[in-house]
Amino acid sequence: MATRDRNALREEVLKILTDLREDWEYSDEITEQTGIFKDLEFESIDAVAMGSAIEEHFNQSLPFAEFLTKANERQAEDITVGEVLDFLLENLKPAQEAKS
Amino acid sequence: MSRVVLFGLDGATYTVMDDLVRRGVMPCFGAFRERSAWGTLMSVVPPLTPPAWTTMVTGRSPGHHGITNFLQFESEASKYVRVVTSREVCCETIWSIVGRQGKRAGCLNFVAHNPPPKIDGYVIPGWIPWRWVKKHSHPANLIDGLKETLSGFDVKELAVDFNEEQKAIAGAELADYEPWIDLHIRRERQWFAILEHQLQRDPAELVGIVLDGVDKLQHLLWGYLDPAMEPASPDESFLRIRERCWDYFREVDGFLEKLLKLVSDEDYIVIASDHGFCGTNELLYINNWLEAQGYLTWSDKAEVVPDDSAEIGEAHPYHLTEFDLDKTRAYAISASNNGIYIPVRGGRHEVGLEPEQYESFRAELIDRLLNHCVDPSTGEKLVTRIWTKEEAFSGPKMQLAPDLTLELRDKGFFSVLRGQGVLRRRPMTAGIHHPEGILLMNGPGVASGTSLPTMQMVDVAPTMLYAMGLAIPEDLEGRVVTEVFDPAYVSAHPAVTGAKTVRPAHLPPEETNDLADDPESEEQVMMRLKALGYID
Repeated sequence: MATRDRNALREEVLKILTDLREDWEYSDEITEQTGIFKDLEFESIDAVAMGSAIEEHFNQSLPFAEFLTKANERQAEDITVGEVLDFLLENLKPAQEAKS
Repeated sequence: MSRVVLFGLDGATYTVMDDLVRRGVMPCFGAFRERSAWGTLMSVVPPLTPPAWTTMVTGRSPGHHGITNFLQFESEASKYVRVVTSREVCCETIWSIVGRQGKRAGCLNFVAHNPPPKIDGYVIPGWIPWRWVKKHSHPANLIDGLKETLSGFDVKELAVDFNEEQKAIAGAELADYEPWIDLHIRRERQWFAILEHQLQRDPAELVGIVLDGVDKLQHLLWGYLDPAMEPASPDESFLRIRERCWDYFREVDGFLEKLLKLVSDEDYIVIASDHGFCGTNELLYINNWLEAQGYLTWSDKAEVVPDDSAEIGEAHPYHLTEFDLDKTRAYAISASNNGIYIPVRGGRHEVGLEPEQYESFRAELIDRLLNHCVDPSTGEKLVTRIWTKEEAFSGPKMQLAPDLTLELRDKGFFSVLRGQGVLRRRPMTAGIHHPEGILLMNGPGVASGTSLPTMQMVDVAPTMLYAMGLAIPEDLEGRVVTEVFDPAYVSAHPAVTGAKTVRPAHLPPEETNDLADDPESEEQVMMRLKALGYID
């Protein structure tokens, strides 16, 4: 089964996040190390909206609630963009399979 | 062809609206009612914003469209809870239905509309944080366009501030009331300014807007709005805060007046609410009751809430971790849906009842709730009605819904938190959802001044399609409320039934709504089952 390329995936996710910045006083570069809560100052509802935006982008349902809950349960101080990518690499179907 | 504007007032009830008309606060609404056909619009079970508005704009019941609450399980097999979005809506919306018949639509501030459906028209969803408004609006350049052309447009004022909105349920200090009301006035001005802008510059045949401050104010400030609660000798503080509440409703009345000037005599205006309102004075800690009956064991993560807390637990979407599921046979995770879940082994739960135990246990639990969940001081029953999921959520998405949905004696939401007892009085009367909402309609052929029979939420979509002269998909569950119109108009304009709704594009292709009704698809299914060896 073909897998997603991490670099390509990173570009797609970063585009979703950087598209937001126009209204939003965040001018630093967003990288895999960027924390969505501490750096981007997301609230939990922003993380939910991010999840639905990513689902819409890839036209797939993804277990974001499980991802966010588990981060909460392990009392993670933050979720980095890199962790979001890890989650997507684990859960996204390959592009061709997703369309079928 | 006539245009339809749906002017949604979240939680509006005749109890309050009629009083405001009598007091001269909402003269335009009063005049509108006199020349409208109007009646009670029954909400869905439970009477809650996401399932009710979604039913209104799909013409389908929650077991079909799949929105059962603000928060629901991520899938039928998942034990994780998520906030509902448009991706969970499993039925076509009226915005899409009119689009397929060549008409444009616009919808503003509807829940479960993010990410925005790609309709022929425009969408700005409600219930999303400000950072995501632009990303989740349709078309992609809509918000930039509003910034350029709409003076005073401010996306931060437009969007829900979730920390502030929690006060509607969790309560607030007296000093917070007036700024909180002001916040909602400013927010509604933003939404109405967009409606005005779009009506003038981006013509659409079907336009809907929801003003949700009505619901928020009534939750927190019911004691100032319910005429039955007016003190015999109100103090200065009461009068000042009530006046500020009335300012909010004056603003809404002013919006209606402006809207009526923006439409023509050929257009329809529909004023509707997703549910009504009433007062609640008590708080039932349902999980404490389940614990006392031996049905539930808390995990060590579950903290006991202070006895003076008005919070009921809606803000905590991850409540399953609060229970020791090895020792729990029934639990509630969301205050607003008054729903109880029964864990059955397999699927969502690794532990729980054996499937064959389910029916008898559920019957036992229903009996205990109806007959033994009582006010300890009076012995009066606290639970007045229970719906099973088959009764309240019949349809393909039923497994997302709670096993039991409760109606309490004062229509209140129960608390899912770990309280210090089973029942206590609230510090002050709060507003809570009542199933009886409002619907008023005015336009060509409408039987002005007519009192309508009680309508169902599923009736709204077919009635609006009828008013637009469009075909009504045969799988909508409601009816055209013909009593809205003069008999002569109905005779001259017979309703046209059209093809079934289409499957939303975001749903995976393997799940289809109507396999059994489609001979070709049914044949394909039979072939697949034969191929898998399930049938000969």
